[in-house]
Amino acid sequence: MPPLSTVPPATSGPQPPPRRRFRTAAAWAAALAFALLLIGLAAQWAATREANFQADSIRRAMEVHVLGLRNSAGKYSYLPFTAGVHPAVRAALAHPGDAAVKQRANLYIEEVNRQAGSDALYVSDLQGLTLAASNWATPQSFVGESYANRPYFIDARAGRGGMFYGVGQTTGEPGLFISAPIRADEGAVRGAVLGVVTVKVSLRQLQEAWTFSRDPILLADARGVVFLSSVPEWLYATRRPLAPAELERVRHDQQYGARADFRALPWKVEREQAQGLPGYLLRTSLGGQQRRFLAVDEPLPDLGWTLTVMADHAEVTRARERTWMLGLLLAGVLLLGGLYWQLRERRFAEQRDARRDLELRVRERTHALDEAHAFRKAMEDSLLVGMRARDRQGRITYVNPAFCDMTGYGAGELLGKLPPYPYWHPDDVPRHWHHYDAMMSGQPARSGFESRLRHRDGREVITMVYTAPLIDADGAHSGWMSSVVDITEQKRAELRQRQNDEQLQHAQRLASLGEMASTLAHELNQPLMALSNYASAAKAFAEQGNRQLLVDSLDETMAQAQRSAEIVRRIRGFVRQRTVGTEDCAVSALVTNALALLQGEMRQRQARAEVRVPAALPPVRGDRVLLEQVLLNLVSNSLQAMQATPVEQRVVEIEAELLAGRMQIRVADRGPGIDDALAEQVFAPFFTTKAGGLGLGLNICRTIVEAHRGRLGFASRAGGGTLFTLELEISPP
Amino acid sequence: MNAPANNLCVVDDDEAVRRSLGLLLLSRGYAVQTFASGEAFLAGADLQRAGCAILDLRMEGASGLQVFDALRAQDSPLVVIFLSGHGDIPMAVEAVQNGAFGWLEKPCNDERLLDTIARALERAGEIAVRRQARQAAQALWDKLTPREMQVARLVAEGKPNKQIAQELAPLEQRTVETHRAHVFAKLGLANSHQLDRFLREHAL
Repeated sequence: MPPLSTVPPATSGPQPPPRRRFRTAAAWAAALAFALLLIGLAAQWAATREANFQADSIRRAMEVHVLGLRNSAGKYSYLPFTAGVHPAVRAALAHPGDAAVKQRANLYIEEVNRQAGSDALYVSDLQGLTLAASNWATPQSFVGESYANRPYFIDARAGRGGMFYGVGQTTGEPGLFISAPIRADEGAVRGAVLGVVTVKVSLRQLQEAWTFSRDPILLADARGVVFLSSVPEWLYATRRPLAPAELERVRHDQQYGARADFRALPWKVEREQAQGLPGYLLRTSLGGQQRRFLAVDEPLPDLGWTLTVMADHAEVTRARERTWMLGLLLAGVLLLGGLYWQLRERRFAEQRDARRDLELRVRERTHALDEAHAFRKAMEDSLLVGMRARDRQGRITYVNPAFCDMTGYGAGELLGKLPPYPYWHPDDVPRHWHHYDAMMSGQPARSGFESRLRHRDGREVITMVYTAPLIDADGAHSGWMSSVVDITEQKRAELRQRQNDEQLQHAQRLASLGEMASTLAHELNQPLMALSNYASAAKAFAEQGNRQLLVDSLDETMAQAQRSAEIVRRIRGFVRQRTVGTEDCAVSALVTNALALLQGEMRQRQARAEVRVPAALPPVRGDRVLLEQVLLNLVSNSLQAMQATPVEQRVVEIEAELLAGRMQIRVADRGPGIDDALAEQVFAPFFTTKAGGLGLGLNICRTIVEAHRGRLGFASRAGGGTLFTLELEISPP
Repeated sequence: MNAPANNLCVVDDDEAVRRSLGLLLLSRGYAVQTFASGEAFLAGADLQRAGCAILDLRMEGASGLQVFDALRAQDSPLVVIFLSGHGDIPMAVEAVQNGAFGWLEKPCNDERLLDTIARALERAGEIAVRRQARQAAQALWDKLTPREMQVARLVAEGKPNKQIAQELAPLEQRTVETHRAHVFAKLGLANSHQLDRFLREHAL
């Protein structure tokens, strides 16, 4: 039994507060006390049961022993009487001096004794003198011996049956003496006692049988002297001290031979009466061992003896101990079980805590992951840059919302797609393949490239694409990640800006030309007005016959005509002034610059230009700006002329070639052509077919061209339209 | 119609135009005064005399429109014709809408020029007559006393003497009758209808 109080209430975790520890200890103590009480009760119950059981066995043994004893005693009780009625015996009594008679009696008695199996059989006369005996032929013959002092003789002499256990006076052998009187059966003394027949029965066999008994058995006489015992040491001990009279009597009777004193039995009676049981408990030393016995006395009043049967009380003790052992063992097992259970509970609790902890951590981790995911998603969703991932086979594995918005296709429609992707612009498919192949060969342009996509609704999306290899968690190259930036607006803005710049430049050039033209027009109008007035006045004076005023008027008229011519000269001078800074001009550059200024107008008018200018042409010599202005005017006129032409035919063709050492530049349109009637006036100042036109464009163009020693002409075109031809000098090599 | 025909002014900073116009108009029998600038014209011409002024729109210094505005500000009876050069037509149109008689684009043919001038002078004559009549009426009107003017306006509205007396109280009906008689006598009118027309015509 381990000391419970030393078992720590907890092997791990924080120490409980003292109050709780005290309570735990109290609980343990109470449990212990309760367990001990239970075990004690169980042990007591077991002991009682064992005691009862022993009592039962004692009772049974007692019955057996009493039976045996009575049997041993009763078996011969009739023998003295039977032997006494025999004539040989009677004859011996009747004739005590007749040796022959006595011999017959001796023989008879001997024979009976042998047949009966008793120890000895003998006949005594009324004085107690033995007349005949079964052992007449032995050295210890009773014949002639007197046993008048013996109680059994006295009893039989008195006419009663006698029974007496004692040590033989002659043989010294203990035995049971049973005597019976021999009564006269005839004559006047009928019924009177003639003599006594006594049989001696040895109880040695019984005693020998007793020695096999496990527990002591003893037989005491009425005085408490033990005369038969399975324990030899206890023979002739007394259960109680003998009174002097009794002692004297025993000595007188020579009951136990010459023994004069009797020691007390070496017992110590512990309890007179075991609870609820017959008998008593005693302690004694047996074979050098202290032993306790449960003893039960059975008085045998007919014999005057008391039979005592014992049972080893150690059995009871052992039963108690066994129960204690079992109980403690059980308690120990229970305790161990409890401890194990507690341990298991604690381990389970620890596991549960650990699991809860783990779950909490997993939850926290999941939460953190969710947050990270949400963060990433918010980031992706907020991105205006489209993201697209592709695996190594070119299959789209990921697109973000911005990319879907950019292309108009849902993620579900794009994922898993192989090229050609649905958003590739049909006009740019070769370019897309080129970029794709470059990427697949592992050389994506880090600096990005411009890519034209087509939105699902058909509109054009211009993007900048940056591609980088996608490296997975294991460091392996798993595909490509591209960021796609929508630069359509930016491109549009750039285009708008360029167009605005061009238009502004164009407008400025036109404005400066227009301003010049307007100034010249106003200047010319003055002399023209005056001319008209003077002429009218002259006409009136001529009609009136006022000769002097007529002449004056005509003079004034001439002066105003001169003035007009002067103004026209000034226009040429202005143009010529510009031609002072002549330079070598590449025809292709002149055409390109002029067309660049007209980009906006061409778009607006849905017309296009076809340019056929060989690169190897020699340069022309002149003022670059003025020559560009001429080309610009010619092309602009062509565009305006094709206002009513079907869209597909609105083409301005510009060609240049070297012809007879001079540069010939041709500008052709598919307009309505120039009416032959008007052909003469085309280059005249202030001629215009346009609603808001100044009528100076072609005039000035011609002036400019002529200033460059060139020529400007036009012709109708076969199939409709007009062809303007511009001839210029080439630069001397 | 003599007086307005004699008052023709040409204002143009271009000498040739100015002189040629002068000679042309002279050949048609008009007397012409020429001025080289708007400032010179405003300073030198009799602006309260009916006639016709030909103003160049684009001039050094004050432009034709500015001169026109100045004339209107002085309530001049002069009829104005503008001469416009290339691109000045919107300006000329605006001027006409503001009360100018018309415009001529340089260069223009003589028939149209002369016709326009003739019509302008005709208009100038009408204006001169109306101005004279109004001046006469004003002179008559000015002879009335303030009380008589009050009574005259109410009479022109056709109100009876009794009501006029009430409106101008404290004034007795008899006094109103006296004023009415004086008004008719001074203005040389016979009844309230004539008085009403007199006041309307001369914007009194």
